[in-house]
Amino acid sequence: MSDLDRQIEQLKKCEPLKESEVKALCLKAIEILVEESNVQRVDAPVTICGDIHGQFYDMKELFKVGGDCPKTNYLFLGDFVDRGFYSVETFLLLLALKVRYPDRITLIRGNHESRQITQVYGFYDECLRKYGSVNVWRYCTDIFDYLSLSALIENKIFSVHGGLSPAITTLDQIRTIDRKQEVPHDGAMCDLLWSDPEDIVDGWGLSPRGAGFLFGGSVVTSFNHTNNIDYICRAHQLVMEGYKWMFNNQIVTVWSAPNYCYRCGNVAAILELDENLNKQFRVFDAAPQESRGAPAKKPAPDYFL
Amino acid sequence: MGAPEKSQANANNSMQRVKVYRLNDDGKWDDQGTGHVSVDYMERSEELGLFVVDEEDNETLLLHRISSDDIYRKQEDTIISWRDPEYSTELALSFQETTGCTYIWDNICNVQRNLHFNTLNNDTFHSVNSELRELPAVELSTLPLILKTVAESGIADQMRLTELIGNDQEFFRKLMDLFRICEDLDNVDGLHMIYKIVKGIILLNSPQIFEKIFGDELIMDIIGALEYDPEVPRVQHHRNFLKEHVVYKEAIPIKDPLVLSKIHQTYRVGYLKDVVLARVLDEGTIANLNSIIHGNNALVVSLLKDDSTFIQELFARLRSPSTSAESKKNLVYFLHEFCSLSKSLQMVQQLRLFRDLMNEGIFDIITDALQSQDKRLVLTGTDILILFLNQDPNLLRSYVVRQEGILLFGLLVKGMITDFEEDMHCQFLEILRSLLDSYTLSGAQRDTIIEIFYEKHLGQLIDVITASCPSESGAQSSDKSEGSGGSIGNENGTKPEILSNICELLCFCVLHHPYRIKCNFLLNNVLDKVLLLTRRRERYLVVAAVRFVRTILSRSDEHLISHIVKNNLLKPIVDAFVSNGNRYNLLNSAVLELFEYIRKENLKLLLKYIVDSFWDQLAKFENLVSIQSLKVKYEQSLENCGTKGTGNVSENRKRIDERALEKEEEDYFNEDSDEEDTASASMSHTQKVQSQPVLSNGVTASCPPLSPRSGGLVDYEDDEDDEDYRPPPRKQPETSEEVEGTMEALRLKRKLASKDNKPEVAKKQRFGKNSRSKDNNVFAALCTTLSQAVLPSKKIASTMHGTPRTTDGNQSSGEENHQEKPATDTSGSDIPTTTDENHKEKEPAASRICSDRLHSNSDSRQLGGEESPLIPSNSSPEMAVNGS
Repeated sequence: MSDLDRQIEQLKKCEPLKESEVKALCLKAIEILVEESNVQRVDAPVTICGDIHGQFYDMKELFKVGGDCPKTNYLFLGDFVDRGFYSVETFLLLLALKVRYPDRITLIRGNHESRQITQVYGFYDECLRKYGSVNVWRYCTDIFDYLSLSALIENKIFSVHGGLSPAITTLDQIRTIDRKQEVPHDGAMCDLLWSDPEDIVDGWGLSPRGAGFLFGGSVVTSFNHTNNIDYICRAHQLVMEGYKWMFNNQIVTVWSAPNYCYRCGNVAAILELDENLNKQFRVFDAAPQESRGAPAKKPAPDYFL
Repeated sequence: MGAPEKSQANANNSMQRVKVYRLNDDGKWDDQGTGHVSVDYMERSEELGLFVVDEEDNETLLLHRISSDDIYRKQEDTIISWRDPEYSTELALSFQETTGCTYIWDNICNVQRNLHFNTLNNDTFHSVNSELRELPAVELSTLPLILKTVAESGIADQMRLTELIGNDQEFFRKLMDLFRICEDLDNVDGLHMIYKIVKGIILLNSPQIFEKIFGDELIMDIIGALEYDPEVPRVQHHRNFLKEHVVYKEAIPIKDPLVLSKIHQTYRVGYLKDVVLARVLDEGTIANLNSIIHGNNALVVSLLKDDSTFIQELFARLRSPSTSAESKKNLVYFLHEFCSLSKSLQMVQQLRLFRDLMNEGIFDIITDALQSQDKRLVLTGTDILILFLNQDPNLLRSYVVRQEGILLFGLLVKGMITDFEEDMHCQFLEILRSLLDSYTLSGAQRDTIIEIFYEKHLGQLIDVITASCPSESGAQSSDKSEGSGGSIGNENGTKPEILSNICELLCFCVLHHPYRIKCNFLLNNVLDKVLLLTRRRERYLVVAAVRFVRTILSRSDEHLISHIVKNNLLKPIVDAFVSNGNRYNLLNSAVLELFEYIRKENLKLLLKYIVDSFWDQLAKFENLVSIQSLKVKYEQSLENCGTKGTGNVSENRKRIDERALEKEEEDYFNEDSDEEDTASASMSHTQKVQSQPVLSNGVTASCPPLSPRSGGLVDYEDDEDDEDYRPPPRKQPETSEEVEGTMEALRLKRKLASKDNKPEVAKKQRFGKNSRSKDNNVFAALCTTLSQAVLPSKKIASTMHGTPRTTDGNQSSGEENHQEKPATDTSGSDIPTTTDENHKEKEPAASRICSDRLHSNSDSRQLGGEESPLIPSNSSPEMAVNGS
């Protein structure tokens, strides 16, 4: 068994890697991710997953429902970290799978894959707590900069974490973004990760999130038409039923963190596309309490003060 | 009576510390004084009220009956305000600590909920309250009754229960006796009940009870009782872990028993919070536990730091030749924890402590540590430095500019280019960045530090690059160079990670020291050398080199640009782009972005150079919109030059060079605006309109001059150049960075180079304006009046305004309509359960700029990591959940 396979097994048990292993993994991941496109081409069949937010045991449920990687081809739409208890294990497992099976799993960037956001919403603190220093956080956030921004499934389904941008009318315009940077506060790259579709908005509206935009049905219609795609698949917003269509089936939100923050009471969903792009949503619940191990937050075993 | 706050330990007193403000007739906030707040019964009444007692004279500053009406607002994590019906004006409490604010806020909410409840049930507060007169006796047979009392009591009962348990000296001792009996007898039911009772009592969240159960005699039994969670199939072995596996290391004997006891308590409470009860605790309880930890840390650190013999002995041992290497190591680890925990101190105290440590010679100690062969020790040394930089970068700066500090500076640079093998060593880059950060540097120190860096160290870094890149460009495609040895001979074993870090630091320098870098780069051919990275086989290093050039171009510096042209420096980039072929990867995107930038900024010299020199190679990429538009732009600028009768841009430039500065500037800008009037007028027009549709195969749907462009949203450079740019009286800090005598010409051109600084500033101001919502006014007013007294989270607060949000031309909505969720618009709402619209995240996008990172970390952590200081305040902490 290679080191990597062993690490994947370890991570599947929700045991974090050593710092040195994280470093090696990240360096390998960079070499793979640098070869990916801002609009990464993905072949069907593929299973699309929304936000995970460090809910490791719920992600294991996801794999139970959707099948293991590499048997199932996966596309994750970002927001792997923050909020949940296991951002470190969650992200490292996905990253290890990416390095091990680069063609069977695609990871794109969510708005939480950012230095600023993770310092506020938990990933930073978790790294500090689990490793005693923030070096792992530094390495992981460097990886975030390399993550692709969106995906295109069989030229027909555009997938992105947040939504559209007024600066982007064609997929080709995404090409000229040098994505290796912290998520900016405005502009195309920011909008892709932050925007939301909104019923009541005609055209573009200001987003209450303070970044990205709200966009209405007409924007989606013209984007889909211009780029000759069937629909947009995105994540980024909690939907209690796990998924939600909008604008006459032109855009769908997929949410994959059941009982979000361990208390929202929602179900989660993934979207399975077969080779003919037939859709099937698989809805699942949070992992039962007993399947959760003891929280792996053990502090350092020695202390001076 | 009833209210638990009264009996808090002294260490937590700061939690209750508030300033009282009252809105006067002029709309200003009057400071009514500072005191301690509590929730208590009103005199001769069963109603609960807020009391603030003056900290100096014990007079009642404020007495307010808590109303069931929705009048309370929580803002910015440290302020509670309301319109007071009795005073008939707005009142506000500004808390010293967010935990205190959260605590009182929760209390208010509870009281309100209870008032509503009573109204609904036609029940009086009194009758609910009086049900619980005393605690059941603690016996095995009464466990179910105790459990029922703990688990099922309403809010009023809970306060009564808290009081009863708090006053009962024997309760816990008896309960723990029972626990041990049950454990001996394997009485699982009993153990499960005791688990639930203990858990329920902890969730009462009473500081008074915490003080009791976390004392040395009880805490291990309490943790033991919590091993028997009926919902977890396996019994947990927490006590075993704490007793057998956890080691308290005594690097230097601590004699004070209070300090020792607090040290152990802190670890155990942390363990309880993070491990034992991680899934059980609500945010209010977590906040209180954090504040215990925080208070303990502060107490321990200040007792130790004020013990002058302790500090002296610590440093004496560290310096003494007779101390073994092993115990020196431990002393350094100890120092690290000591510095790290000092984050719990108040800012001023921490700063004073760090100054004292500096005067004791901590940097000398770190200098030693950094020369150790033990990598963990080296990295601990750097971690300490980062703590210092977080607190005040000038401490370390003032050291490294001194004679004795030169060694440390050198070690830091050396650390950055040293192979730490499997260890992480990204701290070196961070430290250097922080030392060299021109936004926080000031005065002579800054000049010296930059001077040292450029004279002594920059060359060193560049040499690493040149030594590790193959000299023949053909080598790039050679796969033989795989592995560490470098079969090509020139490629030594330098880890690509190191090269990437160097490149990142260089980009940082370009942005922070534009003049220094310009002089240095031109004289030493730094650009050429960095571009050697394009020959590395690691694609991300090639991209790093592209990004470096892109960063240089962002300075819009004529000399650097003509240097690039003269030395054909884009050749390696174009070569890399061409040999990358049709692969749509990061390299492809980065180079296209570079071309886009050149085109949008209309850097004519480069346009001409690129098309003239490389079109043969680039032509086959003409299907890419960016390449095509580059050519179009080139042709436009040729036409334009034609009409002006100056055939050659660079000739034109040279001619101008010979004239006086003012004349040149004038020409330069005339040239620009001429162009604006003619050929590119259509361009600048289209920028403001929606981009043209392009088919996804990359072919434009319309004809060339209207070629689409990405990033229309962010593309205000053009506009602002026109509006804002005047050959400026420069205010940038770079002014003082004079380059003596070496390059007179450079100095003449300096003004031009600041071209993109100024819009930057203008932009920032605009952000500030927009993001300040009206609802922050109360807060802003408080902030200004409060400057020193209370409000430790000042820095956090100010970063909250930083959410940069530009609403550019594309928006039809008004610019001022910034929607950081206003602080006052919700109340009492819990987790939304139906409409997903409510679940939108309330995250200010840009809470902290990156260079602010070091600072803000320490701040936000100060009060215990669990708070999210950047969530615009809403009514309850649960609101933090509502997002993705």
